[in-house]
Amino acid sequence: MINASLKAPRRVMMDYDNVLAWVVIALLSIGLVMVYSASIATAEAGKFTGYQPTYFLVRHALFILVGLIAGVIVFQVPTQTWQNLAPYLFLFGVVLLLLVLIPGVGKSVNGSRRWLSLFVINLQPSELMKFFAVLYAADYTVRKGAVKDSLSKAFFPMFAVMALVGTLLLLEPDMGAFVVICAIAMGTLWLGGFNLKIFGGLIVALPLAFAALILSSPYRMQRVIGFMDPWSDPYGKGYQLSHALIAFGRGEWFGVGLGASVEKLFYLPEAHTDFLLAVIAEELGLFGVCIVILLFGWLIVRAFAIGRQAAMEERLFAALVAQGVALWLGVQAMINIGVNMGILPTKGLTLPFLSFGGSGVVVNLVAVAVLFRIDYENRRVARGLPI
Amino acid sequence: MKPAANIKTTGQLALPPWRSRLLFVLLMGGLAGLLVRGIYLQAIHDDFLQQKGDARYGRVIDINAHRGMITDRHGEPLAISTPVESVWASPPDVDATSQQVRDLARLLGMSMQEVKERLFDTSRDFVYLRRQLPPEQAGKVERLGIAGVSLKREYRRYYPGGEVTSHLLGFTSVDDNGQEGIELAMQSQLGGKAGSQRVIKDRRGHIVEDVASLRAPKEGSDIALSLDNKIQFLAFREIKKTVEEHQAKSGSIVVLDAKTGELLALANWPSYNPNNREKPAPNVMRNHAVTDLFEPGSTMKPFTIATALDLGKIKPDTEINTEHGVYTVGGRKIHDTHPEAYLTVAQVIQKSSNVGASKIALSMKPEQFWHGLHEAGFGAPTGSEFPGEAPGRLRDYNTWRPIEQATMSYGNGISVNLLQLARAYTVFANDGELKPITLLKQDAPVVGTKVFSANTAQEVREMLELVVRPGGTAPEAQINGYRVAGKTGTAHKLDGGHYVNHYVASFVGLAPASNPRLIVAVMVNDPSGAEYYGGQVAAPAFSNVMGAALRQLNVPNDAPLNNVMQPNPDELIKEDT
Repeated sequence: MINASLKAPRRVMMDYDNVLAWVVIALLSIGLVMVYSASIATAEAGKFTGYQPTYFLVRHALFILVGLIAGVIVFQVPTQTWQNLAPYLFLFGVVLLLLVLIPGVGKSVNGSRRWLSLFVINLQPSELMKFFAVLYAADYTVRKGAVKDSLSKAFFPMFAVMALVGTLLLLEPDMGAFVVICAIAMGTLWLGGFNLKIFGGLIVALPLAFAALILSSPYRMQRVIGFMDPWSDPYGKGYQLSHALIAFGRGEWFGVGLGASVEKLFYLPEAHTDFLLAVIAEELGLFGVCIVILLFGWLIVRAFAIGRQAAMEERLFAALVAQGVALWLGVQAMINIGVNMGILPTKGLTLPFLSFGGSGVVVNLVAVAVLFRIDYENRRVARGLPI
Repeated sequence: MKPAANIKTTGQLALPPWRSRLLFVLLMGGLAGLLVRGIYLQAIHDDFLQQKGDARYGRVIDINAHRGMITDRHGEPLAISTPVESVWASPPDVDATSQQVRDLARLLGMSMQEVKERLFDTSRDFVYLRRQLPPEQAGKVERLGIAGVSLKREYRRYYPGGEVTSHLLGFTSVDDNGQEGIELAMQSQLGGKAGSQRVIKDRRGHIVEDVASLRAPKEGSDIALSLDNKIQFLAFREIKKTVEEHQAKSGSIVVLDAKTGELLALANWPSYNPNNREKPAPNVMRNHAVTDLFEPGSTMKPFTIATALDLGKIKPDTEINTEHGVYTVGGRKIHDTHPEAYLTVAQVIQKSSNVGASKIALSMKPEQFWHGLHEAGFGAPTGSEFPGEAPGRLRDYNTWRPIEQATMSYGNGISVNLLQLARAYTVFANDGELKPITLLKQDAPVVGTKVFSANTAQEVREMLELVVRPGGTAPEAQINGYRVAGKTGTAHKLDGGHYVNHYVASFVGLAPASNPRLIVAVMVNDPSGAEYYGGQVAAPAFSNVMGAALRQLNVPNDAPLNNVMQPNPDELIKEDT
């Protein structure tokens, strides 16, 4: 009897977060189908794809596979190792961001120098940098715990690092990645209990700084102004956004049907990457958009739950990383969706797990693997087992 | 790892749960906000957005209607529309590499320069690159996949008969509208009405979805002509041969159903092939049988005689003093080629005496003579409604001088077209009844107008039979196994108001004479070989076409098969009008 009752809960308690796994699988599946649907016309008509309709599908599937394999490997790495490596990984990321800016090494697409050409794939260092920023900010917060109320000791070093990374990203330019990394850094310091008054000041200061940044460059200014009224110049600056909005309008409640999007037929640029959601909205309607938003919501719920569990177990680095990942994926998804819906300026950010884009999917899966690892360790600690 | 140890290593750091909760709520709030925005876009603001979408890729396009087929009386196709594709571009949307432009130019058979000029002429929204390509070639253009270059379904007219039927049928423009001939005359029946359709196009101009049909295209109706394709071919072959053999400027031939006035064949030489898009010379394009007027000459004599017979002025055996071939009217001399002292009325026809005909004409009041000719359809359109038909000229009798009344009796000073002349002969085939000309197949008997009495018609027909016998002007018009009635004509041509030694040789005849089934009229313009008489140039062509057509139609013989009698050479009768 006693033996049986002791064994029973163990069988119920899993070694990993079942729900999180299904959420990620659902997002990847929707992404795979929709990337195929959104890219089929451009792929079939494009010379660079060799007129193969499955060009993007095959590559996207391959990246997911690479990401899953990378995830399995990353899952083996203890959280403590990540904490030890965090500063060095961050430094490595900075080096990559520098390399990208060197002409001949970095590859430029559409006026943005964002890619490093490796032998087979193009690596996008800013995607990696988001992951490294989560690790670094968490480690930083844990290290600076003793001086968390000091502006000069707790905040300024982080500001300096952010200024450096920000400069490199804006030189590419990759405004979207910078916003996400800033959100990760500030969010992690906030979670770490850093001084409330200073945060109050930041809430005033940061928007001002952003405004200054935007006003200083006509390119950024244009992007910010352009989204406000796409119908004033629908064939010029408002072209992409107006088509994204038309796609939403055409979708109505349940969409025009899978594969039946008109916008993807050469009208909407970047339909399979940044504007994948617009194609989802057109083909699957509000129903499809709700499912995507709910899945991201659920992902955030699970990540925060894992983070709080780690916090309760006094595993502070793990707690911050888990919530940092939630912040990263959540903010990036929200910005992408907001851009698609015309309430945020165009950023060049992909929709995590769904959009086509090799580095992005792989790094997203690596981040989720770390989340699984933290959860796995949480469960071990809860059972009193060694990590 | 023990909790106590952990606290020590992290100093005073603790994660305040409220901050985590606040951040979580903010994230959820953000997602909720996006959800609201999604509902606004997709369920509330969607009408506006869809309208914008329609403006971008909704288009109203024309759907070309199929043009009706033209067939002969047995349903043989004479003009058919086949689908072709026209290549057009919308220059503002064009996005092509130089390789694509090169391939396009090669497929269209145009110079690179020309293609570029049209393709990148951004001042226009629509420009044709090449009209009416065969479907397989158009398919190759489509596979180039050039943005902004599209195909448009059109119909190209194809005429299986080529040059044989070209003058009768005419042709259509590249936009499928009739330009000449039947195609023009029957445009309203043949031409369909283009429909329009609302479609969605992708950015490269391909139609991806049919939204709604605004107006269904109305297909053109098929038309069955009265034409008999086999007789048409016989007629064409014969007129071509005749014109070439006699080095004539042109020649025409008309075959009518004697009972109904249906046009069975109408051919001219020179002719052109309407399937070639190159425009032929205007002279070649002319349908001489309908649009050209000529002075008929002696082929008018039967109408002069018939009018006088009907009035009771003469009888077939009335003797006319033909003055040994020279007769002076108003200071002008009228000559006969075969001078005789006296000729009966029948002989006037047989030997084509101008003096005899003039005397008969002058025995009538101008008004009476005019009335007879007018009733036989001269000086008025035939009612064929063939485009460009010249109605012919018959002057008002109030202006006639006696010499004019005299010359008109043998077809000088009056002008006709060949169709009109052939139609006039229906009075001799139908007991004096003139039948209307029709280009369409008739199923019911056709009612005509009575012009002469049955007796008169019968008498003239008998006289016309003499013409082809030895002693007449056209023994070469005889046909094995059939009795033939007909009349030759050899008219001097007018040049600057004077008669010159160039001729229009003609022959109009009916067969079988006992119960006429067909009328064949042959006209050869300016034969410049050794022979130029109607009996030598036009009569053989008549005989060949009429004989073959009668046999083709299985018309029963009304004469023994050895009926053809060749005259002695010294008996050959020629005429001068």
